[in-house]
Amino acid sequence: MKKREICLHVNGERHILTVAANTTLLHALREDLNFTETKYGCGTGECGACTVLVDGTKAILACMTLAATMDGKHITTTAGLARDGKLHPVQQAFVDESGIQCGYCTPGMVMKTVSILARNPNPSEAEIRHGLEGNICRCTGYAKIVKSVQRAAELMADESKAAE
Amino acid sequence: MSTRVLPDFEILIPRDVPEAVRTLAEYGPKALVMAGGTDVLVMMKYNLRSEYLMSLSGIDGLDRLEFDPGNGLTIGATTTIAQIVDSPEVQAHYPALWQAASVLGSPQIRNAATVIGNLLRASPAGDCSCAVLALGGTLVLESVHGRREVSIDDLWLSYGVTARRPDELAVELRLPAPGAGTFSGFRRMTRTSEDLSKLNASVRLDMDGPVCRSARLAMGCVGPTTVRLPAIEAILTGKVVDDAVLKTVQNAVEGCISPIDDKRSSAEYRSAVAGVLLRRTIAQALDV
Repeated sequence: MKKREICLHVNGERHILTVAANTTLLHALREDLNFTETKYGCGTGECGACTVLVDGTKAILACMTLAATMDGKHITTTAGLARDGKLHPVQQAFVDESGIQCGYCTPGMVMKTVSILARNPNPSEAEIRHGLEGNICRCTGYAKIVKSVQRAAELMADESKAAE
Repeated sequence: MSTRVLPDFEILIPRDVPEAVRTLAEYGPKALVMAGGTDVLVMMKYNLRSEYLMSLSGIDGLDRLEFDPGNGLTIGATTTIAQIVDSPEVQAHYPALWQAASVLGSPQIRNAATVIGNLLRASPAGDCSCAVLALGGTLVLESVHGRREVSIDDLWLSYGVTARRPDELAVELRLPAPGAGTFSGFRRMTRTSEDLSKLNASVRLDMDGPVCRSARLAMGCVGPTTVRLPAIEAILTGKVVDDAVLKTVQNAVEGCISPIDDKRSSAEYRSAVAGVLLRRTIAQALDV
């Protein structure tokens, strides 16, 4: 199968890589670029563990995306959230609220949360639960994940106020 | 069982529509067309095979979403479900499509999946398919031979099979402009948020006050394709839509559908609830 060269901007850094037609974005991120915090869960687009952001804060499933169609795109993974060693408010919120058990769904949940709050900085619980659809957790029963999203919304609102 | 592994194929990424239709003219049935990929890639992780995959990701301008009160709504080949959900004009003027788009898949899937892709998948469970059949619409197909239009009423030939020829690219979908008395709605039944619908229904009612001048009723998951319900449309036409008429509608549905047993539901259950679902969809559309 023919390979092609593509350019991916991941977490602000430019990467040139050679991929096959059937290389998924997930495979390219994990195997070629070592962003192993982006998880392989189901491989069929149902669990959300592979959720990354593209074009800013648009959440997509890396296992359902061909790397070859992402040439030139700007992608954010969990590794790209912290700044100067300080956790992103969403990450901090998940820690504060114990929204993490085994941790496997967590990177996907965190990326989804960034995406939710970018569109709706003060979501209701119903809006949070609707927004989290597509990210499955086997451990927590979702209650503390919902609390983590609420806490993240608070932290980000505080940050905005502090910046004003 | 999914292998979760994509088979080998070559990918073709044309840069514009003329190149895309030349590609399809050359490769024809050997090339699968992919927009968002949320159906194609899943199916290829099961047992769908193709020598070539033609991705629309390289073509600018196919993601149109334009509403004009005179002409209606124009949706492009790569217009995503998320764009539909984010559109106040679609929500206001085509509530059935907006409601269907709002529950399709998951947020991540909605960011990649396309309305036209849902139609071309030709699954009777398609949520946007159900809404578009109720609303009415025209699919514009382009090839090296020119343009051709296919009404949504003529698009689905059988399960997974559409009237699109292998050398044609679906470039846009046009929905008619709503009138002053046009109401629409969509409802579905499903297990969890991400699951395919086990039953869905969509309606478009053109009303003169309390009287239904004309109706388009669509139901999915009750036959090999999404279907209209002409016998039920006839019950509503020219009538005041009151409780008695709705009861007649509800009771008439079972005789018009042929659901099967599948992993999502049973023929018995679908038959038992389809009439109720349709009645509730009509009531939702009319806000009664």
